[in-house]
Amino acid sequence: MSRSIHPNRKGLSIIIVGCGKVGSALIEQLSREGHDITIIDKNPQKIQALTNLYDIMGIVGNGASYVVQMEAEIENTDLIIAVTDSDELNLLCCTVAKRVSNCAAIARVRTPDYSEEVGYLREKLGLAMIINPDLEAAREAARILYLPTALEVNTFAHGQAELVKFKLPDNNILDGASIASIGKDITTNLLICAIEREGNVFIPSGDFILKKGDYISFVATRNETRAFLKKIGFKTNQVKDTMIIGGGKAAFYLAKQLISMGISVKIIERSKTRCEELSILLPKAIIINGDGTDEELLKEEGIAFCESFVPLTGIDEENILLTLHAKRVSNAKVITKINRNTFMDVISSLDLGSVVYPRYITAEAIIAYVRAKKNSMNSDIETLYHMFNSRAEAIEFRVDKASSVTDIPIMNLALKKNLLISFINRNGSIIIPSGQDCIKVGDTVMIVTTHSGFNDIQDILK
Amino acid sequence: MNNSIIRYILGQVLKMEAILMFLPVIVAVIYREEEGFAYLITLLFCGALGFAATHKKPQNFIFYLKEGCIATSLSWIVLSIFGSLPFIITGEIPSVTDALFETISGFTTTGASILSDVESLSYCSIFWRSFTHWIGGMGVLVFLLAIIPLSGGSHINLMRAESPGPSVGKLVPKVRHTARLLYLIYFGMTILEVLLLLIGKMPVFDALTTSFGTAGTGGFGIKNDSIAGYSSYIQWIVTVFMILFGVNFNAYYLILLRRFKKAFKIEEIRYYFLIITAAVAIIFFDICNTAASAFTALRDASFQVASIITTTGFSTVDFNTWSQASKTVLVLLMFIGACAGSTGGGIKVSRFVVLFKTVIKELNSYIHPKSIKKIKIDGKPVEHEVVRSINVYFITFMIIFTLSVFALSFEGKDLVTNFTAVTATINNIGPGLELVGPTQNFSIFTPFSKFILMFDMLAGRLELFPLLILFHPAAWRDLVHKK
Repeated sequence: MSRSIHPNRKGLSIIIVGCGKVGSALIEQLSREGHDITIIDKNPQKIQALTNLYDIMGIVGNGASYVVQMEAEIENTDLIIAVTDSDELNLLCCTVAKRVSNCAAIARVRTPDYSEEVGYLREKLGLAMIINPDLEAAREAARILYLPTALEVNTFAHGQAELVKFKLPDNNILDGASIASIGKDITTNLLICAIEREGNVFIPSGDFILKKGDYISFVATRNETRAFLKKIGFKTNQVKDTMIIGGGKAAFYLAKQLISMGISVKIIERSKTRCEELSILLPKAIIINGDGTDEELLKEEGIAFCESFVPLTGIDEENILLTLHAKRVSNAKVITKINRNTFMDVISSLDLGSVVYPRYITAEAIIAYVRAKKNSMNSDIETLYHMFNSRAEAIEFRVDKASSVTDIPIMNLALKKNLLISFINRNGSIIIPSGQDCIKVGDTVMIVTTHSGFNDIQDILK
Repeated sequence: MNNSIIRYILGQVLKMEAILMFLPVIVAVIYREEEGFAYLITLLFCGALGFAATHKKPQNFIFYLKEGCIATSLSWIVLSIFGSLPFIITGEIPSVTDALFETISGFTTTGASILSDVESLSYCSIFWRSFTHWIGGMGVLVFLLAIIPLSGGSHINLMRAESPGPSVGKLVPKVRHTARLLYLIYFGMTILEVLLLLIGKMPVFDALTTSFGTAGTGGFGIKNDSIAGYSSYIQWIVTVFMILFGVNFNAYYLILLRRFKKAFKIEEIRYYFLIITAAVAIIFFDICNTAASAFTALRDASFQVASIITTTGFSTVDFNTWSQASKTVLVLLMFIGACAGSTGGGIKVSRFVVLFKTVIKELNSYIHPKSIKKIKIDGKPVEHEVVRSINVYFITFMIIFTLSVFALSFEGKDLVTNFTAVTATINNIGPGLELVGPTQNFSIFTPFSKFILMFDMLAGRLELFPLLILFHPAAWRDLVHKK
């Protein structure tokens, strides 16, 4: 009814409940993509600040309340995203919304108590998605520890393909080599998708020459990744032990995952009660009750000899300092978790090694969903991943219908500039495409691009 | 400060003014008036200057409240200067001060005129004069926001600087869609009024110009006796539409969504109608025995009350001859003004509601010194920050008001004239009492006083602070020193 008086609406109308870290990351990204956004939060100051910054509408109130939701026009909303501090409130929000409207609902649920029941909750409550940033951050950290030479590892095509980022060190055989020569001399089953050099991001062509100090992202199958890194002289063994500082939710998820991978885990946590809880939940881990920022304690617990070190405290500044300290006193592989995104320039100028941003991981998953929902054409976004501080995107599309990109050799497609087709997943086998390969119906295709806002596989064409 | 975005916005405003000036040119063509050339010249000049200023796009489109306020104030000043050119070129208003006064009075929807014989103007000039009301009523930058895609979210700051009322709410999440909706409602209601006036056998030209004056709550009459010469049907239609344009436009949006219950529950609108009814009743009983019939008395009372509270300023009788009680009621209504979020001026009903509730709260705190109670509007608590800004607004208003009356007093005119001249301009009404009463005009003042009144009109229309910020040294420093 109200839709008829909205002129030229292009985006979806989205309600975001809770304007914390993840909430504001979502607002920033989604409002840039042109959606109609209404935000709900109990704190008037937060609403005021965000409505001044972005072209959105703000409502002060409890997002789970029916009256407040009606005020936000829940009936005409396409999607509600509940990302408040409380899991229960988020679930209640979505449940209330589902009763009055047929919108899609996404809730953030972080408590480990529910994390085992995510599938059940989602199905029974009719939710589109349940997101758990701590779990996702832990998974990403675990992937990196599994392949410690890499700075970032992300999986596509249900884990069959990996997008790996590493820094090219001094005196490596790749220093001065062209992209084309890698294909000739080393391996063909691998594609270099993006390179960051001195702050600029390049989508390379065959004659691009690599230099030391470049950050290189490439796509390959799991086995191929290891073979390639070994060939160019990197160690590829997973780490044997890990020291985690802080015993929060992310630490629990990470420890659990690492233990199942056979890595021994040591957690240092300040609160005695939390230590006791963790010792029950994680019987195989060593739980130390103490202040993780105490230098003597870290020395005593052998920071100099551990193979990897992951500070997961709730405070970014502590995490960064701990990382810098660990880099100085040991050779451990270090992963830093950063929650907020202020002072990004300063952070990226520090040599922190691998950095995990839980808020981005969550936002990426939701944005992938939103873009797929907005799009009613002939493909869907399976996975979306932001590379190099959002300056490039890796997107995995599922191709459902024949279109102007299917069944035509890739070399004959008029592709946009700064875009690369990285792999085609056809019935579970990964093809690193050459010019003769074609995209077929039923494939999933991953592209890497510095453009943003792709919704459909046809967006790759000029 | 982002100077290039201010230049860009000013350029866009000029381009828009050039486009809007096509209308008086068309009118001149219809009536075969050579004054049309003045509009054509100004149009081309504005257009050329506008294109020159917008040729280079600013590097970043981000601007904050400061830039929003400065851009808005400067836009209104530039708009008025260029809008006054045709009056000077045609020689219909030869004095630059007078031409500027007339144009500012038009754009700020004041309707205070310096012309003693309106009917001697050419049709195209009368049309342009009334049309400035229509443009100024909903706001120039709101119009700009509706048609020009400005990227980024910060342009709410433009709308905030221009829209009447203590807090600016959006109807829908996007500024652009909100601006379009507002203009859609505005346009629709104007058309409706034109049609109803045409049914009352008003000539097309009169119907259009009168509707512009009503919609913007401006009040430039096209006849020397304003609306008095028209039939009682027309007077009633104008009365109703004046009141309707003084209502918060959020209500119309809710009605469009068919949420009638919610629309009629808005507290401000209830008080608005309560004040109107009370004022009409008092004046009706006061003038009943002197009027020709009870029906005439009711019509005159309603028309004058509607005209003053919505800050339009049309008149059907010379209310300067009414009793002191009736005149006092009208002067009080001048200060109250229309609802926030309407096209009307004044201090606004919602501000008075909050001020009134603050006084009651203060009284209660004498009886229960430790009691805590939040002021509520529409059942929702009003943030302390909003209450504070309303108090500051009221004080600032009073300071500007007092200083203006003081500045005018040197001319030696009586206090009622000076007092109501400032009241009528700062509240964007038009006619005052005594020497500036409905049958008089503002030409009696010296140029110095006219500039004071022009400042009052702009300050009143832009809700004081956006204009005052121009006088802040920091604003000048940033404008002059680049980077």
